[in-house]
Amino acid sequence: MPAEPIMELRGVDKYFGNLAAVNQITLAFEEGEFFTLVGPSGSGKTTLLRMLAGMDKPTRGDILLRGERINDRPANWRPTCMVFQSLALFPHMTVGQNVEYPLKCRGTSPSERKKRASRCLELSHLPISYYDRPVTTCSGGERQRVALARALAFDPEILFFDEPLSAIDYRLRKTLEKEIKDIQRETKKTFVYITHSLEEAMVMSDRIGVMRDGGLAQIGSPHEIYSNPVNRFVSEFMGEVNSIAVKRHEGGELWCESLGATITPPSVLDESFSQGTLMIRPENMHLVNPGEARSTNVFSGELFNEYVLGSRIQFQIRCNSDTFLVERLREAGMPKSGDQISFGWSPEDSMLFPE
Amino acid sequence: MSDSVLFRRLAKSYMAFILTLMYVPMLIVALASISKSRFFVFPVRRYDMKWYENTFSSLQIQDGFLTSLTVAFCVAVISVTLAVFGALAYARYDWRGKSLFQQLLLVPVFFPQSVLGLALQLWFNSFGVVMSWEATVFAQLVWIAPIVTLIISIQAFGYDGSVEEAASDLGASRWQVFRDITIPLLSPGIFSGFMFAVLLSWGNFPLAYFTSGADVTIPEWLYGKMIGGYTPMVPAVGFLSVLAGALALAIGFSLKAFSGHKDNK
Amino acid sequence: MDSRKLTTRVWSSLSSGLLCSAPLFVLLGLGFFGPLALVILYSVQPRGSFSPFGTPTLENYRDIIEQAFYLSFGWSLLLAIISTTILLIICYPLALALKRYSGAMADILTLLVVAPLFVAENIRLQGWVLFFDKGGFLDGGLNHLFGFGPGSLVNNVPSIVFGMVYVYLPFMLFPILLGLSNVPADVREAALDLGANKWRIFRDIEIPLAMPGILIGSLLCFVISLGAFSEAKFLGKGVIVTIAQDIESAFTFGQNWPRGSALAVLLIILAGTAVFFAMRKIDLNKVLGTR
Repeated sequence: MPAEPIMELRGVDKYFGNLAAVNQITLAFEEGEFFTLVGPSGSGKTTLLRMLAGMDKPTRGDILLRGERINDRPANWRPTCMVFQSLALFPHMTVGQNVEYPLKCRGTSPSERKKRASRCLELSHLPISYYDRPVTTCSGGERQRVALARALAFDPEILFFDEPLSAIDYRLRKTLEKEIKDIQRETKKTFVYITHSLEEAMVMSDRIGVMRDGGLAQIGSPHEIYSNPVNRFVSEFMGEVNSIAVKRHEGGELWCESLGATITPPSVLDESFSQGTLMIRPENMHLVNPGEARSTNVFSGELFNEYVLGSRIQFQIRCNSDTFLVERLREAGMPKSGDQISFGWSPEDSMLFPE
Repeated sequence: MSDSVLFRRLAKSYMAFILTLMYVPMLIVALASISKSRFFVFPVRRYDMKWYENTFSSLQIQDGFLTSLTVAFCVAVISVTLAVFGALAYARYDWRGKSLFQQLLLVPVFFPQSVLGLALQLWFNSFGVVMSWEATVFAQLVWIAPIVTLIISIQAFGYDGSVEEAASDLGASRWQVFRDITIPLLSPGIFSGFMFAVLLSWGNFPLAYFTSGADVTIPEWLYGKMIGGYTPMVPAVGFLSVLAGALALAIGFSLKAFSGHKDNK
Repeated sequence: MDSRKLTTRVWSSLSSGLLCSAPLFVLLGLGFFGPLALVILYSVQPRGSFSPFGTPTLENYRDIIEQAFYLSFGWSLLLAIISTTILLIICYPLALALKRYSGAMADILTLLVVAPLFVAENIRLQGWVLFFDKGGFLDGGLNHLFGFGPGSLVNNVPSIVFGMVYVYLPFMLFPILLGLSNVPADVREAALDLGANKWRIFRDIEIPLAMPGILIGSLLCFVISLGAFSEAKFLGKGVIVTIAQDIESAFTFGQNWPRGSALAVLLIILAGTAVFFAMRKIDLNKVLGTR
């Protein structure tokens, strides 16, 4: 456990008029970690980031940098730097001028500027031949790299990213995600990244904070958040999930009205539990071959549709009024649309959220 | 959408027709200025350049050109300076008085100029301000500065505001952001605004008429002669003034093309 | 303490906008609203007064009503309505044509349309007088070719309307062009794809989207033509008198400032009413911002 977090939020609120965009957030970033804030649009991610970067001030609460309160310190006086969603490259400058700009503001000598800017371009995988190109002639991916190089040239203690990859096509995004992660490992700087894409968060982060309605729903490692979500919101946000409305039934079992069947809960039911939602991830569901002996949580329905996801395949099964998703590895002898099939899950793979 | 060839041709001829019509008076004026007779009669029987000789030797007209030029230059410089800041208030910042500002700014533009000129005359009179070309500069500013503000605002709306935040985040001070980012990005608008200001002032009559006192601008001189007695020096001066405007446009655009060329290198 | 912080924040965001707009506010105050207030003040002074601080009276307004000034008001209003309508009819197709068929020439063509604005109105009107007058370009040319011509076509109301349409054409064309750039090509194509015919696209898509521009153009032309006077003076040569001419002569020949001021106030009220009603339908941020 490091001695002191590099940056800390204590009870931070941000109001726009009467609307709380950020509500009572307390959070600490460790030195050198890759932290990602995820959440649906409107959950307050960008507002939070803008306060961290110094472009907005919190309405209440404190922001601390290595223990020092920096609420009123403007962006240009903070050792932090942000990569904007729009990238905000200076359209009237060349690639080199863009990257040199923070050094110029600091009064670095021209030769030193050029040397350091070149190194940053190299670090973000841009050929040095781009140095004198107008930034307007660069492609989407190249601009991304210029923005990253410019932020690196500032040599910040913390780098912020505001969904910079949202406008990039899938394959390039995958490449850039890995490159950003590599740069973080290489420079050992603290990266704070926001995105609405779960995948992006999973690939890059050491820790993830899930935001909802201006608050933090859960903080944890990607694995923790995926497999042990604290509530239904996090569970649904972190990926596709089957959900079933359930009630307490006699004998410590659950009763599902729509399936008309009892279900074995993941663990012994709490005294206070009366009803809630049971959730099972598609990859934790399995198909039950005829004749296979399984007693609990097995249902049958019509295979309605199938989606091929690369090496995996997802089945959509209709069972009474419910639809279930079952995801399996692709192999020979799989059922076809229209087949009647049985499916089920192990009770310990399901998650129960009381209501 | 696919339009028929006929429709396309019709649209193009219509454009050509209106555009030609816009320049008919200028051509007639040019023609009248080189006809020898005292009154314009078409077809012109004899051509003569004597009206231009008279024009160039007239001290009154030389004075007029100088006055017009001085007024136009002062109006352009002052209105662009005011408008750069005005455009930031208009398009960039969010502040409480913004919509009031946006609406008030439009009022002088949408206002009969002759009435504005008279109102300013009353106003100057009651404060004992002597009518002169300086008063005309002020009067034209009231009308032209808002127009230039609107022109620069279009530019200010057109660029992504986060570049300024980015610059500040990268360590630039307020002044550095203004000098390195804001001004260069607004420069096309500043250029158009300056050109508009010069040319609108150059061609303006009503505001100058009521406020310039003893100083006479070219449009005022023309008006005086048209009322007091036509001579072919009217079209001669008129055509010279058109040429001067065209020259200003040409110089402006070649400067712009030149600087654009330099940037791309 | 928290509320104090909030007010500092509001104050600092307010001040950058206020600071930047302050010089223009001062200019408008000293150069527009001040003089306007003075005109209003003068309009309630006794006849022929040269001081704005006499005993207020409404006699100027009574004079105006009693002395057939409604004629020039009527002419100005009529001319403004007619020329605005004609301008709409001329400029809408022109703007469409410029938008769709000018291609790479667009900027140059647009510049060519604006450029006449930079030439004093007097000169351009003088050009038309020389064109239309007896023995001028048209009459003389036809006489020369065919032995007969139409004679003088100036000194009448249609020639005044022609002059106004000519002079104010850029003021109508520009806002409409700006408005039409609010109509994205793909939206029109989508409508076509959904089965709309050309008329429906015009009525349901183009006009509503281009409306702010059309409104601004019409308003601008209407207001400026209400204050027009050179056209009536040079092309009409006194066949009718517009309200702006009345105002001018009250100030100059008549030396009756209060009457001129009262006339100006009435003109301002007329124009102001039009502006007020039209501006409520226009979001200027949108018109200027989308380009």
